[in-house]
Amino acid sequence: MTTSTHHAHDHPPHLAHHWETPQQQFDAGKLGMWLFLATEVLFFGGLFVGYSVWRGNDPELFQYGSRFLDTNMGALNTAILILSSMTMAMAVTFAQQSKQKALVICLVLTVLGGAGFMVIKYFEYTHKFHDGLFAGPAFYNGPPDPTKAHLWDPSLPVVTQEQLIAARMAAATTPPPPADATDAQPLTAQRSAIAPPQAGPSGLNLHANRASHDSHGKHDLLHPLQDPHRPVNAHVFFTIYYLMTGLHGIHVLVGMGVIGWLAVRAMKGHFNSEYFTPVDLVGLYWHVVDLVWIFLFPLFYLIH
Amino acid sequence: MNVLTVMLNAGASLAAASSGALTLGSSGGASFWMPERASTVSADVDWVFNLITWVSIFFFVLILVLTVYFAVKYRRTEGRGAEPSPSHHTPLELTWTIIPLIIVIIIFYMGMKGYIDLRTSPANAYEINVTAKRWDWTFQHSNGCTQYDELFVPLGRPVVLKMMSDDVLHSLYIPAFRVKQDVVPGRITTLWFEATRPGIYNLFCAEYCGTEHSQMVAVVHVLPEEEFQARLQHCAQWINLVPEESLHLAGARLFSQCVSCHSLDGSRGIGPSFRETHELWGKEREFADGSRRIVDENYILDSLNNPGGEIVKGYANQMSSFRTMDDKRKRALAEFIKRLDEFELDANGRLIVPPLPTPQTPEGGQ
Amino acid sequence: MSTIHSHSSAETNYLTHSRGFLSWALTLDHKRIGVMYLVSVLLSFFFGGLFALVVRTQLIFPGMDLLTRDQYNQVFTLHGAIMVFLVIIPSVPAALGNFILPIMLGAKDVAFPRLNLMSYYLWLFGAAFFLLALFMGGIDTGWTFYTPYSTDADKGSQFAGVIPALTGVFILGFSSIFTGMNFIVTIHRMRPPGMTWFRMPLFLWATYATAVIQVLATPVLAITLGLLAMERAFGIGIFNPALGGDPVLYQHFFWFYSHPAVYIMILPAMGIISELISVHSHKHIFGYKFIAFSSIAIAIFGFLVWGHHMFTSGQSELITVIFSAITFSVSIPSAIKVFNWLATLYKGSISLNTPMLYALSFMIIFSIGGLTGLHLGTLATDIHLHDTYFVVAHFHYVMMGSALLAMIGGLHHWWPKITGKMYNETLGRIGAIGVFIGFNLTFFPQFIMGSHGMPRRYHDYSGVGWLPEMTQLYAPYHFWSSVGSYVMALAFFLTAGYLIHSIFRGRPAPANPWGGRSLEWQCSSPPPHNNFDEAPTVGDCYDYSVLEWDEAQQGYRWRPDVPRPGAGGANPYKH
Repeated sequence: MTTSTHHAHDHPPHLAHHWETPQQQFDAGKLGMWLFLATEVLFFGGLFVGYSVWRGNDPELFQYGSRFLDTNMGALNTAILILSSMTMAMAVTFAQQSKQKALVICLVLTVLGGAGFMVIKYFEYTHKFHDGLFAGPAFYNGPPDPTKAHLWDPSLPVVTQEQLIAARMAAATTPPPPADATDAQPLTAQRSAIAPPQAGPSGLNLHANRASHDSHGKHDLLHPLQDPHRPVNAHVFFTIYYLMTGLHGIHVLVGMGVIGWLAVRAMKGHFNSEYFTPVDLVGLYWHVVDLVWIFLFPLFYLIH
Repeated sequence: MNVLTVMLNAGASLAAASSGALTLGSSGGASFWMPERASTVSADVDWVFNLITWVSIFFFVLILVLTVYFAVKYRRTEGRGAEPSPSHHTPLELTWTIIPLIIVIIIFYMGMKGYIDLRTSPANAYEINVTAKRWDWTFQHSNGCTQYDELFVPLGRPVVLKMMSDDVLHSLYIPAFRVKQDVVPGRITTLWFEATRPGIYNLFCAEYCGTEHSQMVAVVHVLPEEEFQARLQHCAQWINLVPEESLHLAGARLFSQCVSCHSLDGSRGIGPSFRETHELWGKEREFADGSRRIVDENYILDSLNNPGGEIVKGYANQMSSFRTMDDKRKRALAEFIKRLDEFELDANGRLIVPPLPTPQTPEGGQ
Repeated sequence: MSTIHSHSSAETNYLTHSRGFLSWALTLDHKRIGVMYLVSVLLSFFFGGLFALVVRTQLIFPGMDLLTRDQYNQVFTLHGAIMVFLVIIPSVPAALGNFILPIMLGAKDVAFPRLNLMSYYLWLFGAAFFLLALFMGGIDTGWTFYTPYSTDADKGSQFAGVIPALTGVFILGFSSIFTGMNFIVTIHRMRPPGMTWFRMPLFLWATYATAVIQVLATPVLAITLGLLAMERAFGIGIFNPALGGDPVLYQHFFWFYSHPAVYIMILPAMGIISELISVHSHKHIFGYKFIAFSSIAIAIFGFLVWGHHMFTSGQSELITVIFSAITFSVSIPSAIKVFNWLATLYKGSISLNTPMLYALSFMIIFSIGGLTGLHLGTLATDIHLHDTYFVVAHFHYVMMGSALLAMIGGLHHWWPKITGKMYNETLGRIGAIGVFIGFNLTFFPQFIMGSHGMPRRYHDYSGVGWLPEMTQLYAPYHFWSSVGSYVMALAFFLTAGYLIHSIFRGRPAPANPWGGRSLEWQCSSPPPHNNFDEAPTVGDCYDYSVLEWDEAQQGYRWRPDVPRPGAGGANPYKH
């Protein structure tokens, strides 16, 4: 009986043997894709939870670290990804309408959007690598080539993690210094030879200084390693930044690959209003990748 | 060890233990389930435990009896099929949903109350600083007395342990007190108890920490207040009473802090054997970075102050600093290593510690 | 033979459908993939069990020096990691589930057969990484990989196998995710006409709930272990306090997966027991909807209780109290299931055959495992019992005595279907009783020594600092526990022996040897390549009154005087 039902339907080449109808196969594919995306969201969700735990424990790390990110590049990338999401959505529509040429153009535009995103990401990363803003302990080695590092000031000494901790302990045990004690401590004294301290007399109150950093442009930034006001464990911010944007970048690369493959298949005319499942499913994936970035951008670049 | 002696030993220990379990049962509140009780919270914890156990036994027996009874009564025999009976019955379902629910709410409440007691330390508690490092416990009293793998606590007075870890996770656990708390690197955790029975008890590391985890075991001495004070005094002071010419004997007493990593028989441990160091006395030792140095008193002092400074070739930097140890103790250890050939080991390779020449022989305190 | 395969129109079954190595290695048939999983999982079980025997032998007497301390730490780590990640998690869903689920549902295959095959190869790949970890120097971190021990190669585990093992678990995680996705989509989209949600056998409900956990929890484990591997390799400062990290955060991440993972292990086992008890009592399951919904409830509550592994970890007291409260909520659906199974036995026609003996063992062992969970969920007592042998005994009662014995019970139940052969029933019963006795002898003493304070993961219970009376207190319990493990091992070897024997010499199995009503008993044993030569009849899968014993087949058949129900409901896909 089952065999006879099979042959009663015309069994198109893309319909696998264990399905009754193309609609059933499409529904299953779509449900499977949504489940896969749920796992993706949870995968990133682990990192977002980690982010909020860290931010809750050490908000100053994030306030400090976000100054070293280029908001303009981040914003540009956001715009590019949103545009590519739009072209992807258009691609799905064109596939459903069997518009081959428009479909191919939209897919290619989407791949180009992903590529643009990655190029800008490349510039952002290399910029930081030149400054020695690495993840993990490598952060404390400083710029690999000080001549390429634009934040690095060779005339300034490096402030080590131990010095920072010692300064903090001293601040915690001594009463706040009087208001006019500008030269009360050596770390700010070195700093004042280059430029006036950010917020007047600082003493050892590291937090008070950081509150006013917004009034400074990028070029007034000190290299973190030379900054006596950087929080302890400043490297953690960059670790989390590279982890989350890096994992997202990998997803963009995978997406570009898959959409490229779709474009090739589309050129061969594999998709039409009868069969467009892959375009639809990859579209969902691309939107989720976009969505993750929509969260990453404000969390790292915008919120101080 | 040959197999036969192992089996004989085990047989003997088995016999002793089975009778021991019974005799323990009559002393100190030990029961079939729980060890002896020696702190104020023990009885409360045991009460909650027994409550849950009896509830569990009731339900278990109910399930067991019904299972076996049904399996026997309704077993399949020739000509007997399943008898018709309903396949759902909502009031019955609600009964066995709601009754367990009420029971677990009561159990949760009892447990929460006990937990709040366990975590709320009295304000006047006696503080002891605890440092856990693989695989030793260090207990520091405010009078300067520092003990290794040995903890003196006063009877009938609340004690707070402030605990830090030098390396990985550990957990301080005293079964007789029914208390346990993880020791987490990078933060200070606390634990309190009030001992109610004089005696000696084991303290275990309950969080897996590597090779010698099963040997990260200390002894807790619960002492009446006067004896506690006297021991504490002695623990802080005894080294000052030792004459210079007997310093090596004092060093032998301090060696218990080193024994987990440094052997005396020349066998390789976490760190180099003291036998090897002794044999190199006055000669050069080679370090991991290729440098060399004469082994003498200063070398020992430097190694205690800054263990990472010179790492003996073939070993890792695993020792923590003894910088806070007073000078006389450090010199005593150096003397001990220098004159190691004057000491004897017992059959198990343990050091035989000769008595000190002073009339007052320290016991346990270091 | 023709009488036995009387209604099979096909000449071949799934085993004989095609031949050769590649026909298995590249198969898309869920049954063959299930069999490959089964063989792999049982092999892993053999090795995990050997490691357990070595651990027990090291502990049989105080002062044993069978293993050095480091070797012991590596062996118990491997035992735990293999049993959890390679055996119990894939045992029921991936091995039995793959074989049974589509047939029970009345589908021709799972929704994504290629993904299914890929899951299997991911499993193999992950297992290969475990081997690699062994050859690269082993691991001694415990299966939980707690930081900072696991991340610091100098101060903590100096064994180099940590990163390969983490990679292995990461890959196994994806194998598990893909299996879960496949099952969810299969159950949603491939139910044949008439197979409504509430006509599904309870095994399918349980597998469905399991699949949801697999899909939602495993990604978090993947990202956690990824971070851990990076922490160890590059020192990125997430979990290591020396670099500004937080070791307790790791525990939260780890248990967010690994607690639900406990339900990945036990839920399908509960599904099997629901089938076994009903089929072998020839009695309609009692409280179908309560059992079905309790599976879903366990899956949901299971996500909210991970903090109960961390009552002594230094997390805040408020969080601890909240986690304790939610933990008790899990006990209610479990209790509901046990009482419903009891009510199913009532007035049944109970056949005390091998699968049923395993099911009854499960009832008793799971009761102990579940009830001792109350001691551990209660805060005041957990502080004392945490990280002692009480916990070891508790989770072995649940994960081994319940989950794994249910799997072995299920294996006996579906063995005729999978292999087409009957095993020796007498030996089967002896094996089941031997396993039951050995299991309880091994693990019940561990409750007692645990509540007396014996910490877990100890290489020895004597030595420097140990009070002799403590050593003597624990010694008899360790001794009997080790003896029990040997009894259990003998029973398992007996079981393996007669099962393997039956493949070659067993009596051919009828289509329905037990009188089951679910759809897998309507196809021949072993099933044909396409599962059903005739469309199966979907009805009440727990109504046994329509079946009768057929002496000629030595199996059950549809009563000739009862009409087969037509397919109820319309197929939404047929227009």
